[in-house]
Amino acid sequence: MNFEPNSEHDAFRAEVRRFFKDHLPPDLARRTYIGAHPPAVEDYRTCQRMLHSRGWGAPHWPVEWGGTTWSAMKRHVFMEELYEADVLDYGWQGTHMIGPVIIAFGNDAQRRRFLPPMINGDEFWCQGFSEPNAGSDLASLRTRAQLVGQEWVINGQKIWTSDAHYADWGFFLVRTDTSVKPQRGLSLLLVPMSSPGIRVRPIQSIHGGHDLNEVFLDGVRVPAGNMVGEAGKGWTYAKYLLDKERTASASLYQNKRELQKAKVIARQETINGRPLIETPAFARKIALIEADLLALQWSVLRLLADEKNSHDPDAVVSALKIRGSELLQRVSQLQIEALGPRALRACGHQENATAEVLFGTPEWPAHVPGRTAQFLYLRAATIFGGSCEIQKNIIAKRAFGL
Amino acid sequence: MDFNPTDEQLMLRNSARRFVSNEYSLEKRRALSGSELGYSADHWRSFGEFGWLGLGLPESVGGLGCSFVETAILMEELGRAIVLEPYVSSAILCAHVLDRCGNEAMRVETLRELIAARCRLALAHWESSQRYDQSLPRTRAARTDGGFVLNGAKSLVLDAQAADHFIVSACVEDQQNHSLFLINRGAPGLRITAYPLIDDSRAADIRLDQVFVPASSLLEGPILSGAILDEAIDRATLGRSAEALGAMEAVMQITAAYLKSRVQFGQPIGHFQALQHRMAEMFVEVQEARSILYCGLANIDAAHTERTRAIAAMKVVVANAGRIVGGSAIQLHGGMGLTAECSVGHYYKKLVAFDIIYGGVDENLDRLVKQGIAK
Repeated sequence: MNFEPNSEHDAFRAEVRRFFKDHLPPDLARRTYIGAHPPAVEDYRTCQRMLHSRGWGAPHWPVEWGGTTWSAMKRHVFMEELYEADVLDYGWQGTHMIGPVIIAFGNDAQRRRFLPPMINGDEFWCQGFSEPNAGSDLASLRTRAQLVGQEWVINGQKIWTSDAHYADWGFFLVRTDTSVKPQRGLSLLLVPMSSPGIRVRPIQSIHGGHDLNEVFLDGVRVPAGNMVGEAGKGWTYAKYLLDKERTASASLYQNKRELQKAKVIARQETINGRPLIETPAFARKIALIEADLLALQWSVLRLLADEKNSHDPDAVVSALKIRGSELLQRVSQLQIEALGPRALRACGHQENATAEVLFGTPEWPAHVPGRTAQFLYLRAATIFGGSCEIQKNIIAKRAFGL
Repeated sequence: MDFNPTDEQLMLRNSARRFVSNEYSLEKRRALSGSELGYSADHWRSFGEFGWLGLGLPESVGGLGCSFVETAILMEELGRAIVLEPYVSSAILCAHVLDRCGNEAMRVETLRELIAARCRLALAHWESSQRYDQSLPRTRAARTDGGFVLNGAKSLVLDAQAADHFIVSACVEDQQNHSLFLINRGAPGLRITAYPLIDDSRAADIRLDQVFVPASSLLEGPILSGAILDEAIDRATLGRSAEALGAMEAVMQITAAYLKSRVQFGQPIGHFQALQHRMAEMFVEVQEARSILYCGLANIDAAHTERTRAIAAMKVVVANAGRIVGGSAIQLHGGMGLTAECSVGHYYKKLVAFDIIYGGVDENLDRLVKQGIAK
């Protein structure tokens, strides 16, 4: 065992920091800081193109498709700086989810067609997995695809589809064989969202924003060549896609940035004329979260450094998801507590977009907008990507054989 | 960074695990805890033969010169069986004070004795009015011919009953900080009132009534004593955290096994999701406790601010984990968990004691605040 931090990345960290300082438009950084969810598509595009122009558009991809050869630890340094600088973490569904699946299981024609516009922010993606009756129990999904001639014909309904309202493409998990075990009859199809027969219905969320949608597929036709890999292997690909970034579920970088925001608020909000951060009770709350966050950070480092954990690796990743998502909610709660009565004002998505106009007065300081909306949005953190209860089921089974 | 043990570290882990599985069944532990000594003198000699008493001490005094990682590996294994030998007090806490003190003659002589298992030590620093806080001890040392005369009282001196020598803190006359003295257990005027603690270890109150200490037994003066003691206590906290982690790993496995064997409503109770989820919550806590332990190990030799932050955060996380893991272990065992013949209650008591010793969660949150973490 050796816990020496790798100082070899110090120069790289400085380089990344300088690049963001020189290239990220300040107004975009400010919007990211506020955290309107979902961010504007154009902001996504700007960030992705900025990153790709520097060769950092998808660091985890192979070099031949525009990726890098960075080690996991170097990517970690990059992500720390990305969040510290308020660069938008570009749409996960593309470069982080379907991109690696196409690289690993797609054919060359698919790689050539889809990867370049993905990494340059030209085309956006959405993920069609969940259905009204297939949430945690994903394998029970019912959307069907049947091969008619040289085309797949898709019928069914997806739900909780983030970004479907502006995505150019969707990757859909569909049932292509009803005669086998539920997991074995699934396939992965790439579908243009402009296809006839697709209808996207927005779902308004409690935080005031709109990123979730229902997607109805009614006789949607795609060429047979739009299937990724083999028919019937969709479950394997979906698992690969969800397992790909094992440390991402910790939300470490977001947690760190949000805690900084909580401190900014607590320094400026006062109680009985004294900054909140100087009151012992609030300072202790911050310290407790700092301690838990430090533990989370070292959990991530252990995974990045490939520790041979004596416990089951899936259980370890599930533990990370539970702790990381709960911590996000606690940090966000801390922001709300620090805001006090100002947290009451409904600063939803629309208002956040024009926040500079509405905020920055003594009554409504610039640290107010976005926090409450994000706090409400983050109730989702313990639900998406496998709810905490599902993660606990996984731990019980994998770590203890229960 | 590399989180995987080296071959040598694996050997240390394996030999410690072997020792514990041979010597530390619950029955043997209970017999030892009820004995007059409270631990096994034979085990202590074995510790010396294995080299465990000088793991982190320099080779020049007979130690092995290892990093603290080796000590943590050993402590985790000892924690798995909640061993009773007073390892932390002697081989971590007092050993570090001695190793860092300016009294070279006393340092070399005492460390050699300690490493050879010929003596044990205990730290007599805190007094009844102190809650592991930073206030000065009231025990006084007056200069006299050839040495000092000490008067005062120490409370909750951990492992006092096993100790041949005490490292005692006292303020010399009008000095603004305390000095550290090495005092023999048999020194005239030193009175020991021993009692057991909840974790089956032993402690004592010590009264010092006109105790004469030769000048040669002054370990360190007022300028450095505070810093040295801080370092030593941080190391002891780190060692105890590794021990607590081992205890949590063990009690978690014991509980999982129980859920598979205990049948109610016609099935093993481990089939019930409410209990499964409680196990999963224990698992999360244990993972995080191990992670923060590594953070502590990474920073134990760092500058004061970094070290203090890491150790205080570690204490907070491990203590909170201990409450959850220990408490859940009892809960999942039902009434059985409260009985003396079931091991989980003994683990729980160890974890409760760990939480309190050297300062609890709130004290360490305040340490974090003081180190500027909430600014």
